Amino acid sequence: MTILVVLLSLAAGAYFIAVLESWAVHGRLQFSRPAISALALLGRESLLARKSDRLFFETGPVLLLVAGLLALAVIPLAPGLIVTDLATGALFLNAALAYVLVALIMAGWGPNGAYGMIGGWRFLGQFVAYAMLIVMPITAVAMRAESLSTVDIVTSQAALWNIAYQPLGFVLFVVAAMGLCWLPPLDLPTAEGDLAGGIEAEYTGVRLAVLRLARMVVILALAGATVTFYLGGWLGPWLPAWAWSGIKILIVAGLMVSAGRLVPRVREARYLELSWKLGIPLALTNIFVVGVIALVVPI
Amino acid sequence: MIGARQGVMTALQRLVAAAMSRDMRGFVVPGTDVARAAGLDLGAAGIQLCATPRHANVLIVLAPLPAGLADAASIAYAQMPRPRSILALGAGDLSPLPDADVTGPMTQPGLVAAMADLRGVIAVGAFQSNVSDYDAPALQTRTEFTCPMHPEVVQDAPGNCPKCGMTLVPREAAASPNDGHAMPEMEHEMSSETPTKTIATSHDHGTHAAADASAQYTCPMHPEVVSDEPGNCPKCGMFLVPVDAKDKHEGDGHGHDHDHGTHSAADASAQYTCPMHPEVVSDEPGNCPKCGMFLVPVDAKDKHEGHGHKHGAKNQESHGVHSGHGAGEARDGIEAHFMSMVDLTRDMPTSTDGLKMEWIDVPFGPFFPGLPSGLRLDLTLDGDAVAASFAQSAIGEQTLLHKGAVPPKTFADDLSAMSPLSPVAYRLLACLALEQAARQSVASDIARARIAAAERERLTSHLGWLAGFGAQSGFTWLQTRAAAMQLKTRNATQVEIATLGPKIAALLKRVPRTPLLNARLRGIGLLHGSDALSGPVARADGIVRDARGDDPVYLGLGFSVHTSTGGDALARLMQRCGEISQSIDLISQAGAITQPDPPSVGKVSGTGEAVVETPRGAARLSVTLLDGMVTKAEIGTPTAAHVALIGAVADGQELGDALTGIGSLDISPWEMAV
Repeated sequence: MTILVVLLSLAAGAYFIAVLESWAVHGRLQFSRPAISALALLGRESLLARKSDRLFFETGPVLLLVAGLLALAVIPLAPGLIVTDLATGALFLNAALAYVLVALIMAGWGPNGAYGMIGGWRFLGQFVAYAMLIVMPITAVAMRAESLSTVDIVTSQAALWNIAYQPLGFVLFVVAAMGLCWLPPLDLPTAEGDLAGGIEAEYTGVRLAVLRLARMVVILALAGATVTFYLGGWLGPWLPAWAWSGIKILIVAGLMVSAGRLVPRVREARYLELSWKLGIPLALTNIFVVGVIALVVPI
Repeated sequence: MIGARQGVMTALQRLVAAAMSRDMRGFVVPGTDVARAAGLDLGAAGIQLCATPRHANVLIVLAPLPAGLADAASIAYAQMPRPRSILALGAGDLSPLPDADVTGPMTQPGLVAAMADLRGVIAVGAFQSNVSDYDAPALQTRTEFTCPMHPEVVQDAPGNCPKCGMTLVPREAAASPNDGHAMPEMEHEMSSETPTKTIATSHDHGTHAAADASAQYTCPMHPEVVSDEPGNCPKCGMFLVPVDAKDKHEGDGHGHDHDHGTHSAADASAQYTCPMHPEVVSDEPGNCPKCGMFLVPVDAKDKHEGHGHKHGAKNQESHGVHSGHGAGEARDGIEAHFMSMVDLTRDMPTSTDGLKMEWIDVPFGPFFPGLPSGLRLDLTLDGDAVAASFAQSAIGEQTLLHKGAVPPKTFADDLSAMSPLSPVAYRLLACLALEQAARQSVASDIARARIAAAERERLTSHLGWLAGFGAQSGFTWLQTRAAAMQLKTRNATQVEIATLGPKIAALLKRVPRTPLLNARLRGIGLLHGSDALSGPVARADGIVRDARGDDPVYLGLGFSVHTSTGGDALARLMQRCGEISQSIDLISQAGAITQPDPPSVGKVSGTGEAVVETPRGAARLSVTLLDGMVTKAEIGTPTAAHVALIGAVADGQELGDALTGIGSLDISPWEMAV
């Protein structure tokens, strides 16, 4: 029953994110748009590129979907409303999201097209940039909660949300999360102007629908993780817990999908440079500061 | 509907078809820049633009399509998944594309009406029980047979190579022999569907590097063969591959020069071996008993190492003849050649960073979303860095005066129709040259009004460039705002432009403040002090080069040349923003806006020459009038020189930076082909 409720709310969440993204790209808020687009995509031919690597081509989108769903399994929507409350939830989230990289490289390699392949390899470079900045802020969050369980992490923020407790970690995590779900301005693997769609370029019909759905799920998972780690999860006054989770996740997702339209795409070299030379020292500082506060101030 | 998908219209299909008719994904041919310049607002007509035909369900053709783009358009159509449709705007022959499902005039109301019709067509006809196949002529292939060692040996039937006796291998080829123009489109399709993972193509890509004046060519098998021109090796017939000077001199790093030095020095002790079968060794020259190839001389050292290669069976297979030269150094504890990247990449070209990777040839365009439409770019990519580039216009030859002598009015119309991105500037150019030939002059108020028209076009063109930059760099906000302004100013009166002025100024003020913009553009596409620079590209390098600066009418309006410094993509952006404000000022000074009209010249004869600063640089035209008819015309456009600079902008850059740099030149392939 719990799982069913969670799945339904996730489906609704993914749908709303699609609405938000369509609004960010086309400037019109149309609630029926994703349903119409999905239906239209299902009606189109799903072409198989010549000399494609069939296994990679077919597996990529599905693996991406699975990775996103696994990551969502440890996101708590309300007390007791979680697919599985693992003691190592925060770690599991990382493990699940590691497959995003594998899925994208498979999807890029599979169709045997240059644009897709370069897109896939670009994401490998991008992984080098974002990976540490996902893990290190989570470390600081877990230090405060003294647990890797996502439920414990939410309850640890009862007195003060982590966004106020460790704002530096929040910023780093959100930027890295945007890199992980290749949202603009970090959409290097799909960059339209450079690669004509990149990893998506050769997918059509049902396969493209799966790929796009999977991406929505990954965005949802990362918005959920941001809310869980930094925005107090389901905590909040007046409204029921699940409503708070839903509202917060949609706001975070909306900001993530719409921020990129205001800036040009980041250059890959610059992104890597900033992540390593600036991001990692800041993440270490964050861990140190959080460690000191956790020892000195009992909140 | 010609592009219908196989199926029956059941209730479910009807639902899906209805969804499709409301989810129109368009791929524009020749491109969105041309559509905007023609005043079409595709978004307002309910079309979501796609970066690739694979994601589109409607091909929007802006007719007439130049000859050089027709094949490419048919390939784009062939790449679209069914159900697919064609919407043709304007009049013109679409072949080899199938007939359009819906046609309309090339105006915004025409587009909206055509879209409504098309939705109806899709809603009822998306699925049909009998569908016809579409074969783009440019994609039809036949099988031909060639020798792996002698690429010049090609025949229709299997057999043995007359040169070396090897069995010929089959390969796919275009159905009809292609000339220089049709060939690239063939490869365009390949880019989406075929090779890239095989490196094979990069070796015989010698011709592309021909753009690089300093390139030399060598045989992959015989480094002693060096030629200044692409061609075939006189010893083995293989295509020569380009080398740069550095590579040639540092050959010792790979041991080529050294090894081959011993090759040629080998005399008395010479032995002979087969390039394909190193185990075949003979004291005398002759043919290989296994494959019939001529044996080649080896010295003792080489022979030994040739044997070493038998350990790395995979290596031998993948690199074939190349590994015959192998000289992998054994390292402590590691068997020689075991998974050695040095060996695996031995004969591959080296990048500037010293990292050897497989080079792939990737075609971009002529409908690539991040490039001006009609520009065809062939990049040799080393990882995601551009190792070599070759650019050309895919528009095809556009000839002035193809009908022989024409009246002045037709001439001006033809010339402006040839460059859809800046028709007014070329029309003005024609008028000025014709007036000079006829020894006429216009009243000063008309001269000013024409300048206002030219400046309005510059304003529109630069806004269009901003929109294109926004699209290329994923800066959606800029893309939508600039495109909207472009459409509004395109036919605006002087008063309307004065009203739009503050809005445009606000946009221009916001652009330089954009976060990440500097990091994206600074230092990209650097070009300094070249004589070939023209227009905003030259002025962005601080060069005062502007045909308007010599024009008394412009000077009378208080014009002075605006320049920026930097010479990079950022400077070009700032320069165009500055010129937009300048154009708004000039329009407000100039009075009413009038399209230039060619003079009625009577039966005059004479020659005339004129220069006009188009939005992309100075264009020159000289015309000869004979009895009131234009009999001779010669035109020089700014774009051709800029295209020659693409190599300097792109080579050695990361792909995204290279495309940004090329985009910052604001090339119009239409002008190139004139």
